[in-house]
Amino acid sequence: MSGTMAAPGADPAGPTPPAAYRQARAALAAEWIKLRSLRSMLLTPLLGAVAFIGLADGQARNNGANWPHLDAVQKARFDPLVINFNFVILGVLLFGVLGALVATNEYGSGLIRTTLAATPQRGLVLAAKAVLAGLVSFALAVVITFTVFLTGQGILSGAHAPHVSLGDHHVLLHLLGTVCYLTATGLIGLFAGVLVRSAAAAVISMFGLLLVLPLLADKITPDAVTRHTVPYLPANLGDEMLHHHQGLSPGVAVAGLAAWVLVLAAAAAFSLRRRDA
Amino acid sequence: MSAQSVRLLDSRLRATARSEWIKFRSVRSSPFALAATALTVVVGAWLLGAGNHGSYQAASSAGQAAFDPVFTVLQGSELAQLFVVALGVITVTGEYTSGLIRGTFVATPQRAQVLAMRALVFAVAVWACCTAMSFAAFFLGQSVLSPAKHAGIGDPGVLRAVFGAGLYLTLVGLLGLFTGVLVRRTPGALAAVFCLLAVLPIALILFKGKLASQLGEYLPGIAGEQAFHLLPSGAYTLGPWPGLGVLAAYVAVAAVAAFTLIRRRDA
Repeated sequence: MSGTMAAPGADPAGPTPPAAYRQARAALAAEWIKLRSLRSMLLTPLLGAVAFIGLADGQARNNGANWPHLDAVQKARFDPLVINFNFVILGVLLFGVLGALVATNEYGSGLIRTTLAATPQRGLVLAAKAVLAGLVSFALAVVITFTVFLTGQGILSGAHAPHVSLGDHHVLLHLLGTVCYLTATGLIGLFAGVLVRSAAAAVISMFGLLLVLPLLADKITPDAVTRHTVPYLPANLGDEMLHHHQGLSPGVAVAGLAAWVLVLAAAAAFSLRRRDA
Repeated sequence: MSAQSVRLLDSRLRATARSEWIKFRSVRSSPFALAATALTVVVGAWLLGAGNHGSYQAASSAGQAAFDPVFTVLQGSELAQLFVVALGVITVTGEYTSGLIRGTFVATPQRAQVLAMRALVFAVAVWACCTAMSFAAFFLGQSVLSPAKHAGIGDPGVLRAVFGAGLYLTLVGLLGLFTGVLVRRTPGALAAVFCLLAVLPIALILFKGKLASQLGEYLPGIAGEQAFHLLPSGAYTLGPWPGLGVLAAYVAVAAVAAFTLIRRRDA
């Protein structure tokens, strides 16, 4: 798993002489110290995880209690996985904002100038940040996703409503898709943070891009333009990837999300190298 | 109070208001945030008007009756509120980040006076701007909608709704400003207000049942938004003025906390 996460960072440290390897290790170590010594980087994920697990469990309880009162059509439409993972539309905000703060914190405090003086290879700095932000997002996503799944399905089965287990068809794939989507939004947040360099602008762009814009755009009837743009917003791609109800195949959705991450990564690398700090 | 002390207070308030106005207009984020708000509301009105033109014609007669031509084109405010809230937050937290707040409090040790004048300057500037662009968005949106159901400015309730969007944006901006005083850090304050306005309503929608809907109508975003609805949007919504009143009550609570804490804490 770390192989796929480390891919953007592996290039500068690739099959090159040991000096480059030592540089990459030093950059990673430096970024790790900065990441773990931020108080908000401990508290926010913790609070966020508790909030989203609570939200998902509350929703499972609510739907479980409601199950006996549903009519036949509603019962046929009852999808225990969808109910369990509705929290993701909000959960992506936690990852996006955290990713953004990893980058903008340094701009806010001016630390970025020290960082770039210590490691003038700016691409390497960005790659090290991306590797660590990716790994941390991945770990947090795994914890949240699997806790939500296990507790949520337990609650549904306790309420004698339909539920699924890990071994069932497509369930594990759905969980992995959720983890990848959450991790991808963490990286999107990081690269957006490097691009805009201010905490306020980064937080606005995350809430706008991941939450408000898709909600507004979904209310418009698809016409020639929106049919080919709205489904490619990251939030809609993530939704398609997990629930594929509109037309884009899950494969296209995964590729689209990967394209968002890679294009933003390229733009962030370009602007970090070109601009002053 | 004698006439002289009234005059003294008056000149002090004027001086503070003037210095707050200089700070407000001279930071780069103010014109930027207001321009982004204007762009979002006006371009949003055009896109939403054009986009809903087709959905109106495709809707059933019940759907056509429930179609709200005013709210539809002013809905860009839901996105624009992110900029206004951020402007409110940064107006306060920006000074804490740069350390300017210490200079401000040395110059004017009456902290409540500083906060009051800052809120006043902010409210007047944002209200003027947002009301103007709300009118622009209304006229643009109605002209785009026009073959479908649309509203004229003289129709009952329309003027109230267009002014309502400007008032709504001003109030959420003030909510951001007072939250900025409470949190004193940009990302934390932004996340808190955005969660209150944009995340909590959606978290509640995920729950079924009457209780969630009844709680939902008293959330600041959902309640305040009623101000720019022409038609009621569901069984569990307050009317336009009570809705705006609920939002104002949230702002008032935040203001009381902010006025208390700004005098108690160090800068």
